[in-house]
Amino acid sequence: MRTGLSWDLAKDKDPVNAWNAVLDEIGVANGQGYDSAWVDETRDSAVSISSPSTFMTAAAARTTAIQLRSSSMHVTTHHFVRLAEEIVIVDLFSKGRAGISFAAGSRYGADPEHVHETIDFVQTAWSADEFRYSGKYVRFPLHTPESAPRGPSEPTEHDKYVPQWEWGPATPDFLAITPKPYAVAPPVSVEIDDDATLEWAARNSVSPFVRADIPTTEAVERLARYRAIADAAGQRRSAVEPTLERRVEVDGSATESTLAGSSEDLVNMVRTIKTQTGISHFVWRRTAEQTGRTDLLLKFAGEVQPMLQA
Amino acid sequence: MKFWTGAGGLSKSRVFPSSLPARYPSVVEEAKLADELGFDAITCPEHHMMYDGFVTTPLQVLAAAAAVTTNIKFIPGAMLQPLYDPLEAAEYAATLDVISNGRAMMGLGVGYRPYEFDAFGYAKKTRGARTTEAIQAIRLATSQKKFSFEGKHYHYEDASIYPQPVQNPIPTWYLGGTSEIAARRAGRNGFPYWLANSSFERTEVMVNEYRKAGHEAGFTDDQLMVACHKDVCIGQTMKEAEELKELRLDNYDEHILGYGYLVDEDGQHIYGAGRDHPIYRRFMSSIFCGTLDLVIEELKRYEALGVHAVTASGNKKFWAENILPEFRED
Repeated sequence: MRTGLSWDLAKDKDPVNAWNAVLDEIGVANGQGYDSAWVDETRDSAVSISSPSTFMTAAAARTTAIQLRSSSMHVTTHHFVRLAEEIVIVDLFSKGRAGISFAAGSRYGADPEHVHETIDFVQTAWSADEFRYSGKYVRFPLHTPESAPRGPSEPTEHDKYVPQWEWGPATPDFLAITPKPYAVAPPVSVEIDDDATLEWAARNSVSPFVRADIPTTEAVERLARYRAIADAAGQRRSAVEPTLERRVEVDGSATESTLAGSSEDLVNMVRTIKTQTGISHFVWRRTAEQTGRTDLLLKFAGEVQPMLQA
Repeated sequence: MKFWTGAGGLSKSRVFPSSLPARYPSVVEEAKLADELGFDAITCPEHHMMYDGFVTTPLQVLAAAAAVTTNIKFIPGAMLQPLYDPLEAAEYAATLDVISNGRAMMGLGVGYRPYEFDAFGYAKKTRGARTTEAIQAIRLATSQKKFSFEGKHYHYEDASIYPQPVQNPIPTWYLGGTSEIAARRAGRNGFPYWLANSSFERTEVMVNEYRKAGHEAGFTDDQLMVACHKDVCIGQTMKEAEELKELRLDNYDEHILGYGYLVDEDGQHIYGAGRDHPIYRRFMSSIFCGTLDLVIEELKRYEALGVHAVTASGNKKFWAENILPEFRED
């Protein structure tokens, strides 16, 4: 199982200090064998990170191994073209370590279908050459006719190749998003708070993500339901990366959404959840108070992480 | 006079083939070098859906450079503002500003390639007016915790951006190509004005237009700052400098002639013209060729004109050792 870190930001600090604390922890995690860092899109305080991919590009310049996931991404605050492009830039700076996780639409009033179309668009943008997209929320390019097939479509006939610099004022019907990522398919996940998204993700091999605020019993139920739907639909388990995010109190007290106990207790709790749900990625959400506690990072890296891997 | 330098080469063009995954991380090393050499800022351009993988999100690229440098500033140029909501653009800039601890600037252009507007779903014909409003909105967004703005194209009421930037506001430059309309628009609004590549004579005309419009609108010289992009080819002899220019023309031909960058006297975009087109020839004359002494002499003319910064392309070490010291006060 892979292990990663995510963060509650210290709202009492100024953004420079709060962000540097996270960047420093990503650097430590990079050296201690953590597999991933996840930074959420938020807009609720002066320290909020509205552009995780810009933040992760900075992290890419300081790290060599850790995966850099832009998480809790909202489809209403980022243009779908730019979302696809931004992850590629993180990917290129990190040589294939970028990924993206989308927030559940219900958390910010977005139609789940808007989320699904955006994910479909982004994955197509990374893999296809010239294409167009016709959806309820995503139309690319703008002049794509109503008669175009729903979702992505590619040219069905090959006309003589015309280089871009000879297009003149014409606006082609099909366009390629460039540059392409270094990784063949950067990891994509989505929060499965919404039933519609849970089912869509399970049927379409999009990895599920359960965030730290969901009580553990509900998290287990939702991840198990995802797995059952995916299995029934004949999806290969190896195609996805079910991910559970939890706050963790090493030697501390548990809550309905916080795992707590000794290192050995934590290993057994996570492994139990794994057998119930098939999670393959566990993300420790660092509280603001824990951020900067390198001793806790090292303890988890030494005593918990290896026992989750084998 | 300050010197800005480019985070160039982030594409794999047919003229200069390269590996993007290898090239991107090297920008970080180039930024460190530029910081050590004493350049004042790094620039980065923006285009989309280019066959050569041209860089798409300049503020992100500059964030990588910001993470490993301490003094140098960062300015996307040109960031294609009409393809962004102003609040979205302000948030990207604020993000870079926090990562760099107050070293972000914005360089906003209007764009010109039709397919980019079609891909993002924005109207091309309103790009000038929208960019003007966007700069006004961005100035408010990066200087007040809550702001309202009522324009023809953009409306915000009690809006905020996240995070709050370090600078208040983030300096924002208007890139208006080389059209006099743009120079007057920048002056009228008191925007710092960043000219595209032009001959000195053309630059002088544009700067005068800009300042005249600015003064008429009540702005002072301190508020009316000018930066110039200046392509130069430096050789041991004039012949060598001219040969260097020839080597660069294939790349220029594609970018300058192919996508409608040049505009004729009626404001119409020029596509696919030949090298003998008078406007292309005028553009080509903007590339200054000379020996080191002549280049310094030419740049001194820009300094005397009151230009705040020049964007330098080429070998950073050569510029730092041979040209920058000529413009330092001590």
